[in-house]
Amino acid sequence: MRSRRFGLLVSVLLVSLLLLTAQVRGGGAGRAGDLVAMVLTPVQSLLVKIHRGAIGLWSSYADWKGVRRDNAALRTEAEQLRVQALQHAETERENVRLRRLLELRQRLPLSTLAGEVVGRESGGWVRALTVNRGRGSGVAQQTPVIVPEGLVGRVVQVRPGASVVQLINDPASTVGAVVQRTRTPGLVEGDAGGVVRFKFMARDGAQVARGDYIVTSGLGSLFPKGLPVGRVVAIEDKGSALFHFAVVAPAVDFARVEEVLLLTGQTNQDMTALFGADG
Amino acid sequence: MRLLLIFTTIGGNVAQASVVPSLSIGGITPDLPLILTVFVALRRGPELGCIVGFFAGFLQDVAGGGLIGVQALTKALAGFAMGLLVGRFWVTSPLVQVPGLVLLTLAEGVGRFLLLQFFHYPVSLGSLLMHVVLPQALYNGFIGAACVAAAEAVEAARRRGWA
Repeated sequence: MRSRRFGLLVSVLLVSLLLLTAQVRGGGAGRAGDLVAMVLTPVQSLLVKIHRGAIGLWSSYADWKGVRRDNAALRTEAEQLRVQALQHAETERENVRLRRLLELRQRLPLSTLAGEVVGRESGGWVRALTVNRGRGSGVAQQTPVIVPEGLVGRVVQVRPGASVVQLINDPASTVGAVVQRTRTPGLVEGDAGGVVRFKFMARDGAQVARGDYIVTSGLGSLFPKGLPVGRVVAIEDKGSALFHFAVVAPAVDFARVEEVLLLTGQTNQDMTALFGADG
Repeated sequence: MRLLLIFTTIGGNVAQASVVPSLSIGGITPDLPLILTVFVALRRGPELGCIVGFFAGFLQDVAGGGLIGVQALTKALAGFAMGLLVGRFWVTSPLVQVPGLVLLTLAEGVGRFLLLQFFHYPVSLGSLLMHVVLPQALYNGFIGAACVAAAEAVEAARRRGWA
C-alpha cells in the first residue's frame, strides 16, 4: 500500500519532469519538444475554447448583474427625484399661499396675526380648526379668522399655544351678514350637514337671488364689515314662514385652509374692496 | 466518483480562467485548482490528491502557455502531502484546514520557484513571496474558509434532512 502510494507519486513526478525536460531539451533538438507541442496543442485549443465559452457566460452573467444593479440604482434615483419634485411643488404652493396671505395682511387696515393650521375637526358635531397661535401670542376669544378668499370663522377657545377656530359651517356658528348687492341683512348659520345657510326675513325674499355674494355686516362689532362669506347657490322658500333661507357656498374651502390671519385689531372700514369687487 | 473528480478538476480549471479573474484584488487571484486539490486530498487521501493535483496543475500549465509540467508537479506534490497529513495530524478541523491551506500555498509557491530555478527564472524569491505567493496564500485561506463553511452548512443541512 505504502509502496504503491509512493510509486504513484514518483510516477507523477517523473511524468512532470519528463514533460519539462522534453520542452527544454526539445528547443535544441526539436523532436521531443515538437512531440509535446503536437500532442498538447489540440488540448490547448480545446481548453481555450472551453475557457472562452465560460468567460462569455460569466461576462453575460456579470453584465446582467450590472444592469440589474443599475436598474435598482436608477429606480431609487427616480423615486428620490419624484419626492424632490413633490416637495418642490409643495413648497411652491405654500409660497403662493403665503404670498397671498402677506399681500392681504399688508392691505388690511388693522393688526393681524398669521397662524398655521395644526389640527382639524370636521366630524359633524363640531367643525373647527386649531391654529398655532394662542394666549401667548395675544389671541382673544371671538377673534375673527380669515384667509385671502374670505371669512373662516372665529376663535372660540384660547389655549397657551393654540386656539380653536369655529368654522362658519359649524352647527353652532352664527355670523351677521348682508347680501352685498342689495344690503339685505340676515344671519349666516351652519348646520350638522355642513351646509351654510343665509337666514333672512321673508319680506326681503325678492331681494336675494342666486349668485349673490354674502359678506359680513359688521353689526355687533365682532366681525369687521365686508368680509366675504360666500355665494348664494339656492333659495329655500318656506312659503308663509317668517324667515327664508338661501344656501350659501362658502368662499373658503375649509378642507384646504393651511395658513390663516387672526384679526387682532378693530376697524370700522368696509373691507369688501380689499378682497376684490365681487367678494 | 471518478466522474465527479474529473468534473472537479476540469471545472476548477475553467472557473480559474473565467470566474476567478473577477475576484482579483490588486492583481492577486486565488488559486482555485490548488484549493480543490487540497479539499480532495483531505477527503480522499494522498493518491487522489496527487492525481487531481497533477491534472489540475497540468491543465493550468497548458492553459497558461508556459512550461508544461511545473504546476503539474508542484500541485501533485501538494495534493500528496496534504493527503498524507490527514492520517498523521488532526486536519479534519476547519481551524487546521484553513491555515494548512495557507501554508501549503506558500510551500507550493516556494516549490514552484525552486523548480523554475532550473530554467533560469529571473525573479527573486523575496519579491515573489512578497508580491505574489504570500497574498495569494492569504487569499486562498480566505476562500478556503468560505468553502469549508459552505461545506459544513451543506453537511449540516443534509444531516437535518436525514434525521
